[in-house]
Amino acid sequence: MEKVKYLIVGGGVAGTTAAETIRQLDPAGSCTIISDEPYRLYSRVMLSKPNFFLEKIPFDQIWLKQEDWYAKNNITLMAGRKATTLDTAAKTVTLDDGTNIAYDKLLLATGASIRNWEVTGAEKQNVFYLHGLDDAKQIIAKVKSAKRAVIVGGGFIGFEMCDMLRLAGIEVTLILRKPHFWDPVLDQHSGALIEAALERSGVKILRNSLVKEVVGNVAAQGVILHNDIMLPCDMIIVGIGTYCPFEWIKNAGIQVNRGILANEYLATSAPDVWVAGDSAEFNDLILGEQIQLGNWANAQMQGKIAARAMCGEKTEFRLVSFYVTSGFGITIAFAGNVRPAEGGVHITRDSADGNSLSRIIIKSGKIIGATMINNTKELAVIAKLIEKSANMENDKDKLSDPLFDLKTLL
Amino acid sequence: MAKIKKIVVERNLCIGAASCVLSADTVFELDAENKAIIKLKGGVKSADPAEKNTLEDEAVSDDTLLTAAQSCPTRAIFLYDEDGTQVYP
Repeated sequence: MEKVKYLIVGGGVAGTTAAETIRQLDPAGSCTIISDEPYRLYSRVMLSKPNFFLEKIPFDQIWLKQEDWYAKNNITLMAGRKATTLDTAAKTVTLDDGTNIAYDKLLLATGASIRNWEVTGAEKQNVFYLHGLDDAKQIIAKVKSAKRAVIVGGGFIGFEMCDMLRLAGIEVTLILRKPHFWDPVLDQHSGALIEAALERSGVKILRNSLVKEVVGNVAAQGVILHNDIMLPCDMIIVGIGTYCPFEWIKNAGIQVNRGILANEYLATSAPDVWVAGDSAEFNDLILGEQIQLGNWANAQMQGKIAARAMCGEKTEFRLVSFYVTSGFGITIAFAGNVRPAEGGVHITRDSADGNSLSRIIIKSGKIIGATMINNTKELAVIAKLIEKSANMENDKDKLSDPLFDLKTLL
Repeated sequence: MAKIKKIVVERNLCIGAASCVLSADTVFELDAENKAIIKLKGGVKSADPAEKNTLEDEAVSDDTLLTAAQSCPTRAIFLYDEDGTQVYP
């Protein structure tokens, strides 16, 4: 059986950054990455960007590592292979082709999977998800001929896909299950700002709506809504969230919740097994709770920290991560924890002209997160306030005043 | 690694994901178009290439600048050393 010192399951930004960090700290230790996609590291963030879809950014810009980077750094990339079994006592991982690999240190950087759309006919052609590069390639091809599209889901993917399809001149209907965009992460007012921008650019929005069935022979030709209205279309893009597929990890006895549970060093409940990226539900020392985040910067930084621990340099993970997207002339930014499980109080900073809005989330007197529409200028300072963990109980009035300079609270 | 002298944000590639702001908020911020700009001395914000010694935070470490460039999901940040050689990407 092959044995490697550092085994990494997952070839995304968390896993690849971990390999890079390991190589810096341990130039000689053997290191293997197993990736279930047949590609080297690429930018998953770029996958949903209109300029990439519309081929305004050269396709090759997607690659974040040169093809020979792995060999040059003595990192083995086993691409297109899936880990299926983990034995934490024997310290082995089994792949889908039956290969067994023994490890000294294991990193689970398995990411999240796209939630399947449980609707009759959802398996038809021209129903797309956007998770990996192969999905993007299919959408890029279809956009060239499509006339009418249906987008299902009001989140990042829905927003960015609406933007891309409108720029491509395609008629777009967005179907929201909830009363407004990104409910309940965003409030009605924030959602309305986004919806107004979408509608100005010609997106038709159906709220409180569900698709009952996808119709068509082999390929989708339309959807039937909950109210039996038929909406013809020639492509459907579904963005309804993610989940972590970790049966094999759970079967190994590793503790999981919504994600794979980890402490502040990103160590899991099993010895010599760490986790990084979207699949990690870790002890966030700044927020003071177990949290799972799905963003690029978080995954990259966790890859670094987990790799340090694997090399014997135990380091606490401390980061207030944020994420921004833009389209239709507006920006949406999230910082920290925007989905507090309970007890979060929202303070709204509403601009006088009504075109921008920040919502600061306070829990137990401390700022734990924020959502900002057209207000990225407040992003860095809010992230700092989260990091500072200062008690804001007496400053709530200031926080709600859009003219109050948040920097003075630092 | 060679010492970093010049920082360039390729505006056409920048998608405003803000990961550079997260890694080096003394150097980068997003402008009104949601594109990364560089913070220079005297409170000047610039979309043009910048020499490290003109930065508001000229003491920023090369490691921080490299982390910021590496964190960019579109590789829009280019770093050059004193010889004008591209250090990243």
